[in-house]
Amino acid sequence: MIHLPVLFLFLPIVIALIIYLIQSSHIHWLVFPMQLILIVSFIFYVIAWKNDPSIGVLVFGGWDETIAITFLLDALNLTFVGLTIFFFSIIFFYAFKSNYHEKKFFFFLAFLESVFLGLLMTNDLFNLFVFLEVIALLVTLLITYRKGENALKAGLQYLLLASMASILYLIGVLLLYYVFGHLNIALMKDTMPSVLNTNLVKLAYGLIITGIGLKAAVFPLYAWLPKAHGVAPSSVSALLSGLVVKAALYLLMRLHGEMFHAPYEFSTVIFWLGMISALAGVIFAMVQKDLKQILAYHTVSQVGLMFIGLSFNQGNSFLGGWLHILNHAVFKGLLFLAAGVIIKAYQTKKVYDIQGVFKTLPWTASLMLIGILSITGAPLFNGYVSKSMLKYAFKDEMFIMFLFNLINLGTIISFSKVAMMLFGKPHLKVLIKRASISQHLPMTIVAITSLVIGLFYQPLITWIYDIVPYAIHLEDARIYLEYIFWVSLGFNLYYFILKRDYRPLAKIRELTMTFPTANFLLLVFLVSMVAFLYLA
Amino acid sequence: MEPLLSIAVILIGMYGLIASETIIKSVFSATMIESGVILLFLNLGALNGGVIPISDGVNLVIVDPIPQALMITTIVIGSTVTSLALILSIKVFHNNGSIHWKDITK
Repeated sequence: MIHLPVLFLFLPIVIALIIYLIQSSHIHWLVFPMQLILIVSFIFYVIAWKNDPSIGVLVFGGWDETIAITFLLDALNLTFVGLTIFFFSIIFFYAFKSNYHEKKFFFFLAFLESVFLGLLMTNDLFNLFVFLEVIALLVTLLITYRKGENALKAGLQYLLLASMASILYLIGVLLLYYVFGHLNIALMKDTMPSVLNTNLVKLAYGLIITGIGLKAAVFPLYAWLPKAHGVAPSSVSALLSGLVVKAALYLLMRLHGEMFHAPYEFSTVIFWLGMISALAGVIFAMVQKDLKQILAYHTVSQVGLMFIGLSFNQGNSFLGGWLHILNHAVFKGLLFLAAGVIIKAYQTKKVYDIQGVFKTLPWTASLMLIGILSITGAPLFNGYVSKSMLKYAFKDEMFIMFLFNLINLGTIISFSKVAMMLFGKPHLKVLIKRASISQHLPMTIVAITSLVIGLFYQPLITWIYDIVPYAIHLEDARIYLEYIFWVSLGFNLYYFILKRDYRPLAKIRELTMTFPTANFLLLVFLVSMVAFLYLA
Repeated sequence: MEPLLSIAVILIGMYGLIASETIIKSVFSATMIESGVILLFLNLGALNGGVIPISDGVNLVIVDPIPQALMITTIVIGSTVTSLALILSIKVFHNNGSIHWKDITK
């Protein structure tokens, strides 16, 4: 039982190799038994871990803990492991039929699953770097999988920027090794407050935060994300936005929240970084006309919200940030998957050209509506829960509450645009009458998960973290009235301002960033982070 | 002295990333930064002036072997990233007829 995490890492990688090497056109059926084994063994492991949390520390090879490769499983990364296994099962299901003849696609996906699980479980800073780099390589291959012109450009920029971020992270790790003499995260966490050479640790902190910031696409460093997520195949977009971006947020929780946070006060900067990228993401999302670009820019804004929660600034708001990671995976995954079906049916990505999805694809449209309600924070759905938990810690600060409402209003405005394509009369010829069951089933499961988390978040959090979260009174009519008020305001703003597409709005849409500019911003970001750390 | 030289290599690479206008130069700049990091880490591990960590029974002062083990991994990963980036730039060149970032990010 204690060695089950090794199975999580090696089973997908072995299956991936078998899929790649064996010459049979049906060999990728193997991914389903693989996911089944992973789910069952994960459940067994969690039950065993709940009885005895000490089995979470794994030291390989009988070496001393300071030089051995170690795994550490606790409440934080076990939830992420569960999310990863769940999300990959959904993606395998969804992509299975449409990519049936593409063995390599499943090879990359299974490989990515293994590497991602490794990233979550390892307790070694250098192994984290290796996993980050391999994830960047695999994601590049998945983005450029169809070899479209834009996909190749986006993939190249993503690869170079992501490897820059990894290198900055590596310099930080190197400095930490120089100070501590080992790379074990758990041991480093214990000795961090008593370190004497704080200058080098501060520099390392700044470098690591910059690396994480680029991987998470916070405000000035987001240039690669909408390009990459917008041009990838829909199942890959869902995977990237739903899961792979969360690797950086997991690192933020691990390294900022648990390791550096105690001796160095930096949470205010992270908080405002999150706030600015939430606002900027919403502004850019509002003016887009491409369905997948809208969803991709919203990832930037939602990641900003998670940064706010995970800055550990105030009270229990980190619980909100943590829950928002899971919720965002659920509803953004649902939105991208449904958008994939709609784009395939209408053969266009332009929001204004698609109309009447409820008439042509009723079930897909209802699922899309659930995703929209969830991301705009409608009560009863999961997005509402985590957003209110985030806001609750700041309820006394008027200005921050105003900014939160502004972000939510922007989300509603841009999703009014998406929601409008569900209604009306279809005037384009639709290629497919009905999405296949292998696509509808996983989407329905995700939609049900969205409702379940929205209603039963309290027992879930209490079970995982032993903290009783702030309770939301769903019987209170005011929350529904408040939501209706914001929706009507947002819809009117959309209808009378955004739809006209005035010149300044078009100007914002046409803003692009060249690669040297993105690198310049990366260095400016790095210098300012280090400066903040030294001045604080 | 040597750590400062490796830091200089890293900084030159960073300048290259900001200033270079073509894909190939950007890829090379990224490779330079990585080489600088590798040199820096190896230097920091060998500050005690020891010999390579293979014991011959005479020299008892050896350098820290962990940086060497880590950096060989970094070299492998770096070469993979460079080769993938170069392949992608060839494909981008075939599609666009140009390797200038200005023509590509439109």
